[in-house]
Amino acid sequence: MANTAVLVNEFGEVGLDHHLLRRADEKTVLLEHGCVCCTTREDLVSALLDLLDEEDKGRIPPLDRVVVETTGLADPAPILFTVFSHPVLQHHYHVDRVVSTVDTVNGELHLDRNPESTRQAAAADVVVLTKTDIAKSGEIQALRARLRGINPSASVIEASLGEVNPEALFNPASNWSPTEPSDPTENRPGTVPETFVAGDVRHVSRTYSTSLKFDGPVDWTAFGTWFSMLLYARGEDVLRVKGLVDVGEAGPVLLNGVQHVVHPPEHLGEWPDEDRRSRIIFITRGVRSEELLASLEAFRGIVGAGPRLLEANAPV
Amino acid sequence: MCILCGEFVTRIHWTEKHAEDKARASIDAGAKDENRRNRRRERVRRAAVTNEVLRHYGLKVSDWSGTKYVLRDGKGRSELVQDLGSLWPAAQKLTGRPLDPLDPALHGALANGG
Repeated sequence: MANTAVLVNEFGEVGLDHHLLRRADEKTVLLEHGCVCCTTREDLVSALLDLLDEEDKGRIPPLDRVVVETTGLADPAPILFTVFSHPVLQHHYHVDRVVSTVDTVNGELHLDRNPESTRQAAAADVVVLTKTDIAKSGEIQALRARLRGINPSASVIEASLGEVNPEALFNPASNWSPTEPSDPTENRPGTVPETFVAGDVRHVSRTYSTSLKFDGPVDWTAFGTWFSMLLYARGEDVLRVKGLVDVGEAGPVLLNGVQHVVHPPEHLGEWPDEDRRSRIIFITRGVRSEELLASLEAFRGIVGAGPRLLEANAPV
Repeated sequence: MCILCGEFVTRIHWTEKHAEDKARASIDAGAKDENRRNRRRERVRRAAVTNEVLRHYGLKVSDWSGTKYVLRDGKGRSELVQDLGSLWPAAQKLTGRPLDPLDPALHGALANGG
């Protein structure tokens, strides 16, 4: 965690966290006005630009990483959008990962009641379960199953008494777990998490996750037509897309999107493992797996390959 | 900067990022020319595959000087768009109806060759 700056965001007039964190780390900058994503996007821009400026002038050591701590109600998509779209930031910063913390004791309640919680879990690359030290037995496993139902691509790590190993948090390998869950006790592909059995209707909009592969190489240009059209029509309901797409080259294209915001796709030089098939996870709100599959099947002639379902988790 | 309209384009749509980056990054003159040709080929191909979808809506798109795309309907109306991100809203504006890849009517049209 050396050479890491932390941008803290908080509501309220007294910037208590700011003072605490400044004592711990001189690179902490307090963002004003509360919510980073909606009301103070420019503050995030200026805070990140300030860090570049201070680094350039030698006032702070060269930075390896910036951690942006958002409010509990934040939507991660506008933050990603800010970094991807700003004319300067997009050339100096690379979004590494979205980390979401989930309170193990109250997580189920938050996921039931708050659409923001589901959006954050869907956007996460890494989920940290907090307060596992005071959780009842069974709560951790139930929450893990629930989170896997929402976002099968996220790796889940546990923090007891607020302690978490930074290496586990920022381990590059944890950024993509395409087929194998990190914990063998988690639900395997093809199974339905126990929290999503029939009749278990949740309070928030229905969230579906769909893991699929393609039966051959995909025409990347044509896939762009389909996916951009999907995001135009249903972007707000496409909470997350993450995948490796076989485009007939030596390596796959790494696809990563949160709602309307798509990471610049990376054309990798080689596959990360032996499995050289496309695999994509869609996390959607109200859009059923069958609808996505039917659409991709209809686009088969254009995209060059058809979809095959690997795993689907539905709320009911 | 777009030399035709003077628009300062700072955002490259994700669908065009790879080809744009390659076309801009090449140092070797031969590779630069090849990457520019690839970029142009990809734009023409993007218009061709997108037309297979747009046919259902009575629209047609074509590359416009390698800088924009021009979207036309059967009544002679047209819209200039920067990329696929702005093409779909413009298409909806021209047709007056929503375009949705999950629409079964579109699926049927694609199965019948558009």
